[in-house]
Parts: sequence; structure tokens; C-alpha cells
Amino acid sequence: MIGLILRRLAQIPVVLLVIYTVTFALSWALPGSAVLNDEGRAPPAAVIDAIEKQYSLDDPVKCYTQYLVRVTGIHWLSNRISGPSTTPTDVREYIFDFGPSFRFEDWSVNEIIVSSLPVSVALGLSAIAIALGIGLSAGVIGAVRPNSWIDFATLAVALVGISLPSFVTGTLLLILGPVWAGVGTVGAWGTLGNMLLPAFTLSLPFAAYIARLTRMGMIEALSADYIRTARAKGVGPTTVVLKHALKNAFLPVLSYLGPAAAYAMTGSFVIETVFNIPGIGQHFVDAVRSKDLFLIMGVTLVFASILVFFNLAVDLLYRFVDPRIEQ
Amino acid sequence: MRPVLVILAILVAITFSVLAFDRPLPRAELNLINGTEFITLDPQRMTYAHDIRLNYAIYETLTRWDTYSDFEIIPGLAQEWSVSDDTLEYTFRLDPNGRWSNGSPVLAEHFVYSWRRALYPDTAADYSNLFFVIEGAEDFFHWRARQLDEYTALTNDQKIARFPDIAETPGLSRNERLARAAQALRQESIDHFNNTVGIRALDDHTLQVRLERPTAYFLDLCAFAVFAPCYPPLVERFASLETSTGRIQQAYDWTKPPLLITNGPYVPTDWQFKRGMFLERNPYFRIPDFAKSATVRITPINDPNTAVLAFQTGLADFLTDVRVDYIADMLAQKEQGLNDYAQAISTFGTYYWNFNCREFLNDGRRNPLHDPRVRRAFAMTVDKHAIMMVATRAGEKSASVFIPPGSIPGFNSPQGLPYDIERARREFNDAGWFIGDDGLARNAQGDLFPTVRLLFSTGSYNGAVALALGQMWREHLGVRAEFDAKETKAYRADLQRQNYMLARGGWFGDYGDPTTFLSLHRTGDGNNNSAHSDPYFDDLLTQAENERDPEKRMRILEEAERYTMEETLPILTIFHYNWYFLYKSPEDAQGRPNPGGLRGMSNHPRNVQYLWLLEVVRQEELDAHLAAEAAR
Repeated sequence: MIGLILRRLAQIPVVLLVIYTVTFALSWALPGSAVLNDEGRAPPAAVIDAIEKQYSLDDPVKCYTQYLVRVTGIHWLSNRISGPSTTPTDVREYIFDFGPSFRFEDWSVNEIIVSSLPVSVALGLSAIAIALGIGLSAGVIGAVRPNSWIDFATLAVALVGISLPSFVTGTLLLILGPVWAGVGTVGAWGTLGNMLLPAFTLSLPFAAYIARLTRMGMIEALSADYIRTARAKGVGPTTVVLKHALKNAFLPVLSYLGPAAAYAMTGSFVIETVFNIPGIGQHFVDAVRSKDLFLIMGVTLVFASILVFFNLAVDLLYRFVDPRIEQ
Repeated sequence: MRPVLVILAILVAITFSVLAFDRPLPRAELNLINGTEFITLDPQRMTYAHDIRLNYAIYETLTRWDTYSDFEIIPGLAQEWSVSDDTLEYTFRLDPNGRWSNGSPVLAEHFVYSWRRALYPDTAADYSNLFFVIEGAEDFFHWRARQLDEYTALTNDQKIARFPDIAETPGLSRNERLARAAQALRQESIDHFNNTVGIRALDDHTLQVRLERPTAYFLDLCAFAVFAPCYPPLVERFASLETSTGRIQQAYDWTKPPLLITNGPYVPTDWQFKRGMFLERNPYFRIPDFAKSATVRITPINDPNTAVLAFQTGLADFLTDVRVDYIADMLAQKEQGLNDYAQAISTFGTYYWNFNCREFLNDGRRNPLHDPRVRRAFAMTVDKHAIMMVATRAGEKSASVFIPPGSIPGFNSPQGLPYDIERARREFNDAGWFIGDDGLARNAQGDLFPTVRLLFSTGSYNGAVALALGQMWREHLGVRAEFDAKETKAYRADLQRQNYMLARGGWFGDYGDPTTFLSLHRTGDGNNNSAHSDPYFDDLLTQAENERDPEKRMRILEEAERYTMEETLPILTIFHYNWYFLYKSPEDAQGRPNPGGLRGMSNHPRNVQYLWLLEVVRQEELDAHLAAEAAR
């Protein structure tokens, strides 16, 4: 078990380095200039020149290595050992320094990630919590009474949840809730109430998928021998379903939860736009659009790390829930 | 069941702990929605409209405009000023009561620091060339760039040896020597600035500026956002010197409250990234209670639809830019009395298409648009009213000239070219192109007119306009068009390299003088995307620069615009931009106060809205009005 964890941990830096390299190459190849405004006045050529020199934007190899040295904390370490390469100031120093954002000139990528990642994590996790609640109940009900009207109803809802894009459901909910019913506010963030609508919208496709997984697992489990044994022993129907059958039926859901949680946390670009949420998802799209090189690198590396660690965590959790995997 | 509950509990716990850290901003007396987050609060580096509007609220410039009149220059922080007889030397007398938000006085010295900062290429200020009207400023800018290049090229030993004092001081480590050398290099640039650039603090409250050449609009520039001061002790705390290049590296921690110190009517007390900003009256501002609203909240909402919904459901009193394509319908509904908040004003900007004026295209082919007669023919076959029906549909004024007529006092706009297909065809024939029986244009050798490529950025109405243009030229001139829709960054790159034949463009003026538009078409200008180059036009601009009589100068500039809009035609102007807002009118149809309405907006095309002039009409005002009516 420990050997496995160590092996998996050792793979992480390699995976991240590959992701770093590929992302860097792709974002470098984006057309246009990172430092030029999209509209309006172009600054004097010497100004553009100065910015490009400052961040080595004129030399991909130099830029690649310099940024790598900062991101990995080697730069920070060397500053501790051999003295800084700038005169001292009050500027905060980061161990893992993701550099400045070109689009949001007053903010460093570190600040942007610190301010937006928790929002997306909260939104994503609450969406997963809602999805678990809805998906499991719908799946169990569907499996207990297969092919009944209630089974078809949940299947239909699940189908709609997967098929409808979230900018449709999001806008629809915004108009139904705050605009028509006067419940909640549009464009505000920071309270639990503000989070309900977007979290619910985000949860729908996940809930639908979990419902399908649970239903399949439950139908299989309910026809298994050990369930018949349990029933024969006189165990009540609720206990049979919720304790004996669900435990096995939950395994595929569990393995789906890892990537789903990571995806819910970062793939909420549309939701963030529609509900005006200050999360990290929007930066995946906006940073690429504005060729904000360091922001692209920052959010990609953070997302990659999250994904890698979530997969590891789920793999370990799986072994804990289902001891058969060990053999 | 148990693992499910455990997982759920963990998820909910994390969610709550994150929410505990977010503090939503309270409602203020005046609540705004902006279409984007602020880019920077550093006055010297600003370029975007939202940043500039905020600048006027939190910083105070030497002069400002009377936005309710014809944009007359009135005193700001400078109470009075004198101009020397040769119109080159300006002496400003600063209000001794001017205070930063920490209580310390605003000194002439601070302007010297801030303007010098704008002239350092290290600062990378987009607007640094506006400062080039000051004596020695342009030379200093290039001198500093050279100084840095030369210093970077030196080895570390040479860097230290460049300053013998530092090389000979005993007991210093190599790193300390390098750091000191960088500081000495910076001092050298400051000395050079003081010796060569015409900006001087005569005493604490007197600033003297000597200009390179007569600049009729210098006082107008002084009112512009990038000429506002920053607080030097604060900025310096976050400026470091890179020892390998000598470059000043500025970190922007200082633009975030509570660190930020400003000298305007408001000071930001909270700024949460992508969540919002909160302004309060600067307690030390030289005129107490100057700002009409005590507090302002600004919420950035990127999505245009969400912004409109948020305004409609009462999140804010004022949506500062409306970018939904149904604004035309909202304006029409307002006409019918269905809403009372859709607002449009014409602005200091123009939507146009660039002609590539170069003789050869980037692929080496001869460019038919190089001939001004062809460009004029193209322009005169465009029915601008028909185009507006497919573009915004929101009632903009069609444009036959570049500078929006009536926006600059004392400047009379030329006529521009008419919509005249007959005349267009004559010009086209003169240029050697004839429309054949198959309806296609050919030259005398029988070669087809090359297919014109129309470059534009995706989104908005550019594609619709391009299609309409292509169809008009096909119909009236027998010229075929193809379309090149690109994502903004790629479009911009092509535009700058003249990798196009026709390309969509737009421009907003920065200061109240025709040159803010006209200089665009000067040979070699950094924004001259059509690569227009004409000695007569360049000569007119130089003449205007040297003309001291403001009346005569305006006549010269009028001729310059006439010449480019009627003869050389580097651009095909389509319409003058409107700006759209959502805010309730301050008075209802009966002239009574309208609670929730916004009072104090300026309707001038320059579209400068000083936030400290705005206030929301209160319910009490209507009550008082009704009571007075009843008493009568």
C-alpha cells in the first residue's frame, strides 16, 4: 500500500512537467501579442519591447526555463541561498511564483488563483453534494421499481439534465428565480443564497450521470445472491436496499466522483459567466483568448495538480471501501 | 450508506468554510455595474475606459473639464496657471489644501515623479507618447531605453566597474555592489531627466512645465487621466531594480486597499478581484463633501445579458456599458414608454474600415487599393444607412468624416464624400478599371480586379457589415469580395502588419483636439494601421504644430481632415459610435423627481462621467415635491 502511494507520488512531477511543456508550447503558438491591447491605442514600440524583454517574451527557450524555475520554487530557493537578483522591496515573495497576469495588470497569477480557486472549489463541491443527493435517490428509486412510471420519470429527467447545456438551464433558472419570482439576486456573490442556483445548475449533468450509474448498479446488486440471503434472514426492505445493495452499487459512483469533482470545480466556465461568479473556470477560456501566457500556465498547472491528486485519492479510497481490490 | 454521508459531510464543510471568507460588499449610495474588472489603478498605465472613469473619481488632475458645458477647461488641483508669451511655458499654482488620503499634502514634486514615471519605458505606459509634447520628453524616453540596453549588455564586472565609487568601496559583497550599481544607474537617469526634461517643481506648490512646441491642447491633456499623480512614497515601496538589467520592476501590491493612497474625491476602501470595489469619500479631500454620493459600489459583470438582468432586478443604479445586441429593441421600447432606463449618447469615436494603402500586399501582389481613386470609388458606393440597418440598428449617426462633428469647439468638419454611384464609377474608370458585360471589373489588359479580402474580428456586427460592403461593391463596381473572420488577437496582429486589404477599425479620441484623430494617418504613426503616407498631409500636421494662432491652427487641421476624408481616404468611415447606459431618468414624464433615477450625467460626446457628480434620486425628494405640490 505504502509502496503504491510512493510510486504514484513519484509519477506526479513527471506528469506535471509534460503538461507544463505541452501547455507552454501551445500557448506560445497562439497568434497575436500578449502585451498588446485588443482595441484602441498601440503603445510606442519601445514600450512593447521593454515588456517583452522583462518577461523574455522574445525568446521561447529562455522564457520556458525562466518560468519553470519560478513556478517550481527553485528561484525562491536560490534567492534564499545566494541572495536576490533585485534590490529589496516590500513585495510579497511566493515560493511557487506563477508570475504576473498580462490582462489584469494589477494582479499576479498567484493572487488570481488564490482569489478564484476557493470559489470554484466551493461551487464544484456543493454541486457534487447536490448531484449525489439527487442522483442516488433517483437511481435507488428507479432500481427498486424498474420500468415503473417513476423510473421512466427519473430517466427522462436524467436525460434532460445531461443533454441541456448549462447556459440554457442557467439562464432559464435566472429568469424563473430572481427575475420572475423575485427570489435571489442576479450577479451577486458571497452568500449561501447566491450559491444555490449556480450550484444546482452545475449539479444537473452530474446528478443525471450518477442516477444512471446507481440505477444500473442497484439493479445488478438487487438480483445478487447475498441480497436474497439477507431478505431470507428477515432483514427489512429499507436495510436491504440502503445498507446491503447500495454499498456495492456505490462503487462505480465513487470512481466517477474523482474526475467529476475536479471537472465540476474547473469546468464551470459557462455557469461562472451566466451567474457572474468570481471562480477559476472563466480564466481557462479568457486567458487563452487574451493570450495571457502566465495565467494560462498557472490555471492549467493548478488544475492538472488537482486532477492528479484527486485520481490518487479516489484510487486509495476505492481500496478502502472495497478490500477485494488489494488482491 | 455511511461513506456517502461522510463524503457529503466533507463536501458541505469545505463549501461553508470557503463561503465564510467571502465578504459581499454592502449596498452603497451609488451602485454601478461595469462590463469588466478594472485592469489597473496605476494612473500612468491606464488605457481602458472603465479605468479612466475610476481615475477621475479617485485621483485629481491639475485641470478638469466642465462636462456640462462645451468641455471648457476649469481648475482642478491647480487653482491657477500662467502661460508664457511664447506659449511654451506653463506655471501651475497648486491648491495648498490638496491632500492625499493619508492626510499628507499633494506636492508639485509628486507630479514631477509621476510624469517622469510615465516617461520610463520600464513603466510600459501605453500613453507615454502623450507626454512627448513636453520639452526633452521624447528624447529622454529613447535615452533611457538605450541606457538600459547598454547596461544589460555589460558583464557583471563591467557593471560594477561602470561606477568607480562602488567598485572601490571596501567590504561589499558582489551582490551588494551589483545592487548599488543598479541604484546608481537609476540615479543617473533621474539626473538626466532633471537636466533635460522641462518639468520642474519650483516650490512645494508650483509646477513649471516647458513644452517642446506650442501645444494648444496642453491644458486639456493635463485634465486627462494619465496625467494624474500617484503617491511616490507608496509606489517606491514596491519598485525594485533588476540587477542584471538595471530595469525598474514595479509590483502592484500598492494599488489594492488598504494600501492604496489617492488624492481624489474618493478613495477605494475595498477591492476584491472580480467581486467588486467600494469607494468612500476621501476624508482629507481639499473640499469637504465634494462628492455627491458618500459611497460607491462597483460590481464587474462580464456577461452582457447577466449585467442587464442584474440591473433590471435592482443590483445597481447604473450599468455603465450595455453590450447586448437587443439594446436597439430596449431603446425602441423606451420610446413606447415600456421602460424608463435605456439611454444612448453619441460619443467621441468612429467605426470605420481601413484601406490598406501600401503599393504591394504582403504576398507581393500589386495592391489595387493603393490608388486613391479606387478607394474613393469604394467609399462612394457604400450606402451607410443600409449598413446601419444590419449593424447596431440603434440610431447611430452615419459618418462621412473621422472626427465626430460638433465634438471639438471651434473645429468645423468637412463634408466628406457623398453616396454617389455615378461619380464612384467615373473615379473607378479613371483608375483604369472597367465593368464588363459579365458585371465584373477588369483593367485595360483584361485582368480581373483582384478579389478583395475583408478582415474583421469575430463577434459583434462586423461580419454583417462586411457582407453588406462586399455585396455593394459586387453590385456597383463589379468587385468580388471574400471574408476573413479572425479571433481578436489574430485580427489585431494582421492589422498591424497590414496583412489585409480592407479591415474593420474603430477609434475613440483621447483629448479635445483634432490631432487625437488626425495623427493616426501620419506617416510612421504607431496606430497608422492603413499605412497611409502622404507628404502634403504630414506637412499640414507639422504646420499646425508650429502655428501659435489657435484660429489659424484649426483652419489647417480642418484642411488636413478634408484632405484625408475627401481625397486620400485611408479609412472608410461608417458611423460615429453611440454609448449605451442603463439608468433611470432623474425625472419622470411629469417633471417630478424619480426615486432611483440617476442625476448628474453629462450628455457631451466626449462622454466623461465624473462619478463624484452622480447621485441617486431619493424617495424623500419625491415626497417633498408632492407635499409642495399639494400645498400649492
